[in-house]
Amino acid sequence: MPSMVEIFVDGLKLQVDEKKNLIDALKEKGIHVPHFCYHPALEVVGMCRICLIEVGSVKIDPQTKEPARDDKGQVIVQWNPKFQAACNTPITAGMHIRVASEKVKKAREGVMEFLLINHPLDCPVCDKAGECSLQDYSFAVGNETTRYREVKRNIPQEKIGTNLLINHNRCILCYRCVRFDRDIVGIHDLEMQARGNDTVIAYTPPPGSRDTLLNHNYQGALADICPVGALLNENTLFRSRVWWYQQNQSICHGCSTLCRVTTNVKNNEIYRYMPPEEPEKNGFFICDKGRFSTTDFSRDRLLTYLIKGHGSKSRDVLPQLADLFHQAHSLLLVGGTTESCEDIDRILSLVQKWQAKGKQVNWEYRTQPYMWRGEWDKKVDFLLMVDQRPNSNYLRQKISGFTSQEKWQEALQEADLIIVINEFAAPYSYRIENYADIEKLYLFKLFEEKSLWSKTVLLNTHANAATAKALASLPIMVFPEKAGTYIDKEGVAKKSAQSLTPAQGLLSSGQILAKWNDYVEQDSLAYV
Amino acid sequence: MATKIVQVHQKYAWKWWQKFYFMSITAGLLVTLKHFLKSAILRRQVTVRYPEEKRPLSSRFRGLHRLKKDEEGRLRCTACYCCQWVCPADAIHIEAAAVTAEEQHLYREDKYPKVFQVDLLRCIFCGLCEEACPKGAIYLDGGIPMPDDSRDRLILNKEDMIESVGGKLIGERV
Repeated sequence: MPSMVEIFVDGLKLQVDEKKNLIDALKEKGIHVPHFCYHPALEVVGMCRICLIEVGSVKIDPQTKEPARDDKGQVIVQWNPKFQAACNTPITAGMHIRVASEKVKKAREGVMEFLLINHPLDCPVCDKAGECSLQDYSFAVGNETTRYREVKRNIPQEKIGTNLLINHNRCILCYRCVRFDRDIVGIHDLEMQARGNDTVIAYTPPPGSRDTLLNHNYQGALADICPVGALLNENTLFRSRVWWYQQNQSICHGCSTLCRVTTNVKNNEIYRYMPPEEPEKNGFFICDKGRFSTTDFSRDRLLTYLIKGHGSKSRDVLPQLADLFHQAHSLLLVGGTTESCEDIDRILSLVQKWQAKGKQVNWEYRTQPYMWRGEWDKKVDFLLMVDQRPNSNYLRQKISGFTSQEKWQEALQEADLIIVINEFAAPYSYRIENYADIEKLYLFKLFEEKSLWSKTVLLNTHANAATAKALASLPIMVFPEKAGTYIDKEGVAKKSAQSLTPAQGLLSSGQILAKWNDYVEQDSLAYV
Repeated sequence: MATKIVQVHQKYAWKWWQKFYFMSITAGLLVTLKHFLKSAILRRQVTVRYPEEKRPLSSRFRGLHRLKKDEEGRLRCTACYCCQWVCPADAIHIEAAAVTAEEQHLYREDKYPKVFQVDLLRCIFCGLCEEACPKGAIYLDGGIPMPDDSRDRLILNKEDMIESVGGKLIGERV
């Protein structure tokens, strides 16, 4: 329950929530107080001093115990001679603050000059340029000259994480990365070393650990919360400049958490995910697994219809498949947890149609051992789930599947035609390091063992060993190429916007099965 | 309502002696004669044997692109993409890479252009790249571009443009 109090900002009367941080409360009212070390999700430390404001209180007349008033009847405000950091100032009812007075501006200019003392000002080379708080505030509140005449300190850039570089010269020691690792990730492995001018952020392995490099799943988030370009991700280093990206509000398909993200698209390729708009509502952080998985969408794609591993055309392949469909008595659909609700609905209506025709059609969405163990709510860390399929929750609600894994495997043997919906291709849906290692996959081994390839039709996004072996492989869209709805682990429907333009004629899984069904219906007319 | 029409433009009425064209032709030929006498007699020069012989270019002439090095022989360009971004003809293509420890003496920062191409077929020689460059690395002072019969040779690579001399600093171009 917000408890609203009245405060006076530059003489303006505002109603703000008492429990909030002053910077957040003012931001809601459209007053932006510059800040580096303050982050809404992290503990307040008040290290950077750029958010300095003047705080005053109303003068009380000692005789009457009431606010003293001047000749015009205005209350007299006594201003504290010292500045206070806005992030560390609690909101109290009736407080008077100045956030844009001349004195405050001068103080911020001074702080900015101090922060830039050792900063190399190498924005043309820095990957952060364009989304850098230091750059923005330097233009907004800083002074264009410096009085520093000494030699700037120069510490070489070093690698502190498996995917993380630190440029000590750019660092302003805001402590955000240390707090993030300690409080959010829960590993206390970054710390400040040395004192004064020599202070650097350094990797200090937690007790008992023998790691020499930081290796948790949130190195992208570390680079992201760094307000300057001190922490950089190695795998996106110098790949692009941030102002080239087209942005779409979408979701990350890495796991069933379905974090809301902003896609960064250039040349019809997603370069990375960034946290969404309004992070206060939609989440500040995303894990590396999702953030850097996006290159998979444009690599090794299946863009042709394959029959027995050889390229063909849809009008050659689909009639053959329609014949197969007529010959088959029992069909088994496998997978589908990566598809959107719209596609799943389309496939379900087709399944009902086929069942009405007298075919025996079953659909099993559980394809991995963890799914049969029912580990739907098991977490890897605070965001990433063991269940790395985006839409498993929806399928769990819609279809029941087989009662046990053994029965499913028997059904695999007995089925005349198996349709696998994107189980051998969805990037990063498998916990294998390199997804070209498709042969290590449980389902792949199962299909090898039972030699099921000769009756398997794959709907696949990527070309790999499985598409080469299957009877036929049909290309489908990856999720950023279509807009769709997905249900996350908590049952919240989330929309994903179209970020990429698909290859011409490429269909989604629901559409391609519908097209197949068109051929089937044409053929059945011919049979009559 | 009657509209009052005012004729603003009146056709020039030729005088009778102006209808003979000798006057104008003579006036024009006098200008030609003046220039001829000036260059042939005063300067004693009419044409140069281009391309063996070249006229001195103005210091503001915008010609072929040159990538400059600094006094220590390090390439000034740091692949910031400013020129590529500002180029109205989309003629510049850059691919950046990180400088390795062995080649640190060749570059000023830790980022360098692995590929730097200028497509002369697209370039309009507007000089915006020169203006956008924060490092004073690219200048259009390489003289007049020569025609070629191959499109490939009209795409300048990094090696074609690197000049060993220091070159001018930012703002020094007169």
